[in-house]
Amino acid sequence: MIQNIKIHNNDFTLHPSGAIFWQNKKMLLIADVHLGKVSHFRKHGAPVPANAAFENLGKLTEISNYFQPEAICFLGDLFHSKLNEEWQDFEKWVEYTKAEVILISGNHDIIPKYLYEDLGVKVFDELLLDSFHLTHHPTEIKGTFNFSGHIHPGVRMRGVGRQYLRFACFYKSENQLILPAFGNFTGKHILKPSERDEVFAIVEGEVICVSKN
Amino acid sequence: MSNKQFIDIANTWFHSKDWKPFPFQQKTWKAFLEGKHGLLNAPTGSGKTYALWFPVVLQYLKENPNYKTKHTKGIKAIWITPLRALSVEIQQAAQRVADDLETGLTVGIRTGDTSQSERAKQKREMPDLLITTPESLMLLLASKGYDKTFKTLTAIVVDEWHELLGSKRGVQMELALSRLKTVSPKLRIWGISATIGNLEEAQDVLLGMDPEFRKNSILIKASQKSKIEVRSIIPKKMETFPWRGHLGLHLLEEIIPIIKASKTTLIFTNTRGQCEIWFQKILEKHPEFAGEIAMHHGSIGKDTRLWVEQAIRNESLTAVVATSSLDLGVDFAPVETVIQIGGPKGVAKFLQRAGRSNHRPGEPSVIYFLPTHALELLEASALKRAVKDEVVEDRIPYLLSFDVLIQYLVSLAVGNGFFPKEIFPEIKNTFCFQGITEEQWNWCLNFITLGSQSLKAYDEYKKVEVTPEGLFIVESRQIAMMHRLSIGTIVSDSMMLVKYVSGGFIGTIEEWFISKLKIGDSFVFAGRTLELVRLRQMQAQVRKSTKKSGKIASFLGGRLPLSSQMSKILREEMQSEADHKRNTPELKALSDIFDRQERESIVPGENEFLIETFKTRDGYHSLFYPFEGRFVHEAMSSLLAYRISLLSPISFSLAYNDYGFELLSDQFLDIQTVLDNNLFSAEYLYQDLQKSLNYTELARRKFRDIAVISGMVFQGYPNKVIKTKHLQSNSQLLFDVFRDYEPDNLLYLQAYRETFEHQLEEGRLRQVLERINHQKIIWKQCEKATPFSFPIITDGLRAKLSSEKLADRIKKMTLLLEK
Repeated sequence: MIQNIKIHNNDFTLHPSGAIFWQNKKMLLIADVHLGKVSHFRKHGAPVPANAAFENLGKLTEISNYFQPEAICFLGDLFHSKLNEEWQDFEKWVEYTKAEVILISGNHDIIPKYLYEDLGVKVFDELLLDSFHLTHHPTEIKGTFNFSGHIHPGVRMRGVGRQYLRFACFYKSENQLILPAFGNFTGKHILKPSERDEVFAIVEGEVICVSKN
Repeated sequence: MSNKQFIDIANTWFHSKDWKPFPFQQKTWKAFLEGKHGLLNAPTGSGKTYALWFPVVLQYLKENPNYKTKHTKGIKAIWITPLRALSVEIQQAAQRVADDLETGLTVGIRTGDTSQSERAKQKREMPDLLITTPESLMLLLASKGYDKTFKTLTAIVVDEWHELLGSKRGVQMELALSRLKTVSPKLRIWGISATIGNLEEAQDVLLGMDPEFRKNSILIKASQKSKIEVRSIIPKKMETFPWRGHLGLHLLEEIIPIIKASKTTLIFTNTRGQCEIWFQKILEKHPEFAGEIAMHHGSIGKDTRLWVEQAIRNESLTAVVATSSLDLGVDFAPVETVIQIGGPKGVAKFLQRAGRSNHRPGEPSVIYFLPTHALELLEASALKRAVKDEVVEDRIPYLLSFDVLIQYLVSLAVGNGFFPKEIFPEIKNTFCFQGITEEQWNWCLNFITLGSQSLKAYDEYKKVEVTPEGLFIVESRQIAMMHRLSIGTIVSDSMMLVKYVSGGFIGTIEEWFISKLKIGDSFVFAGRTLELVRLRQMQAQVRKSTKKSGKIASFLGGRLPLSSQMSKILREEMQSEADHKRNTPELKALSDIFDRQERESIVPGENEFLIETFKTRDGYHSLFYPFEGRFVHEAMSSLLAYRISLLSPISFSLAYNDYGFELLSDQFLDIQTVLDNNLFSAEYLYQDLQKSLNYTELARRKFRDIAVISGMVFQGYPNKVIKTKHLQSNSQLLFDVFRDYEPDNLLYLQAYRETFEHQLEEGRLRQVLERINHQKIIWKQCEKATPFSFPIITDGLRAKLSSEKLADRIKKMTLLLEK
């Protein structure tokens, strides 16, 4: 159900939730949770089911219990918009979790940095760990491997009899891996991979490599 | 003065024009002056405007004897028209009467095209007659003090009611009427409808459930019979005529002599894309028409549309290529000939288009039918019979459209605010919501105030608020503005303005089309080849391109399935073909194709149900031919695929057209097992359909409109760069979230109900299955694709159904790589 891959001699586990566990650092990488999106919509008169808001933190708890990471690094767009009631739930979650929490700021992260820091969450624009470069927007720096989010990658597949299916995926090219969106009220953006790209689709609770190499 | 004396005023006016009023007009005047409500069944171009505008004027004269010296202020009547294009025509006719009788009455128009300053002026002082659309009327109900504005109203006339009836705009109209009945005590409700199968029901829907209104009403039929002559354009060389396609350009040369022989010709196409292409091609092949032909469709700028309409009236155009935007109402006397390109799919639509030509009494209206592919000739032959036998379809009204109700309630809350106690009885009295339960009503109220049935203690949901007095009202200006912008029940893709770099508006175009273009690409739109220069906000800025051709702007929607009446006639024509009667020119022309079909398979007779199977490099094809129209085939293919997939793991991709459907798979399908297992059974129909994957997909598509109408998805501000991106979601996402977290949401359930009733046409589907069970099933294992199968198997639009595990399917699939 999971996939293990090696990059620059480090071991990474791709989990069907959309998270990556970096075994050498015991660090969880998670992109685009978009907390608060449901409440934000509701506040502006769009009645998205309120229950959908709870699921993200539940899923976060579940996965950190599973991997027992020492650090959890969010690759941007942790919160969808301004402060709202979901922040309080997030506060409780940060208090509860044993791991160190790190946020790489994304375009949606407009909540002031000091509020995170009050909770003990470290906020960076980007982070360079050994030869790995953690960012929100996909970025290339020579000699480093980049983990990022932002895109919400998905792929389209074709079968015999003209069947088509779409899946969220981990999207790996030579020096870069883009994580799927972790949040449940997020869309996906369909990419067209080239021959050299590796694609790991998330299919009914499994991570499946769908590209040739 | 008695009513009769007032009617004489109208008679005198007619005589002064050397006209004679028709009996139906006089009947309508009399009924109106007696205070009756009603429905007038009259065709276009029969003087229906005079039938209902005259009594409004006479009523005014009756109530204001000194009208010549003193004008009594306040709106007297509202005239609802479904299309903006019709309003000018009506205004001119109405104003002429008002002026000739020296009444001092004013006539104004209020539609999406009306300028802001004009609207403001109207708000200060309403014209005596307001011509408007259902959406603009709803907007008026969403403004403060509407009850005072409409207090003086004596009549509301809903023109082209048959057009609104079978759509959610009809529901919107029902709701607006329910409110006006209360705020305008002197109101008379009148509808005007072309001939449809269920006129009595149409009248009931219009008047609602109040016994008072129903009792005091009348159905008036104009007994003018319009003679219609249908002529098919038959290809000279059938061998080279295509088996599939939808453009019909092969026969372009055939219509040139027709255009040249008549003063003005209207050429009707089924889609806007087709309209663009035909216009372009005619000019390309026949440059001599430059300046003499024009194009008319809904995406073209208003000024151009109005110019075209005016040009038709003053006979300065030889031909106009149009879509349904010219279907209705407007009375173009100079139009001599009408050409229909491609099957109109319904008799009523065809008759309406035919009726656009030649209004000289006594002479028949002539309509040419141009088939776009071979089998459409069969449709032509069927249409001729339908016209002869005067077959017309029903328009099925919507029931319990909660999305429209929710939009309406928020509209009221944006305007004066409302007390549920007052509004509920009004709602309950509409035809659409006669069956609404107290529970459902409370659900709707909760939905707009709490965002559904959320039981969470603290929630920031904000839309409609309730004051301590119990008034439901929208306080937030932003929410009010967003709601006003979203009023309406026609959901379209987001549109972009197309403008020249130098300024100058050309029209609007679907965003997804523009998004496929790169800067510098050229495309054909509004009859011009344009080059995309840049995208600014919601504008595509273009310049004239020197290139000869480009992508043709294509538009979604517009394709109608065969009506059940049409498909029945079609099957009868097929029978005559099976019998080798070939007694119409269309069927004679088709004989080669039918011969070939018979060689490779059979032409099914009335008591036969044909199934064909063959293999190509795409996979194993199984084709079924119920001849029941696309919607029914869509449902049936999904049903059958689901039932087969229960027997063993298999994946299908489905295709359908108006004649039949296909199940395509990578495995061989033994039809004998289908028959042995009685898979065409009508039992467990509902349950099986619900379980088929396709059903959910259809509901998901229906949900798109529902989400927009009920205000769950905000489509953004038109032509403005206010940041709304953070509030945009798509209905797909919402659908999934509802499925996972709130499956009892009424709007979510409505998507399924609408799919079942309107899309899958459960009733028809059941009948087809029962018919097949009495037919002889003929399974032909063919060598290759047959003439019948060809248009279906080459159709690119497909649905899919599978009982294989997703992971197993993926192993067989390939990733779509960059080209």
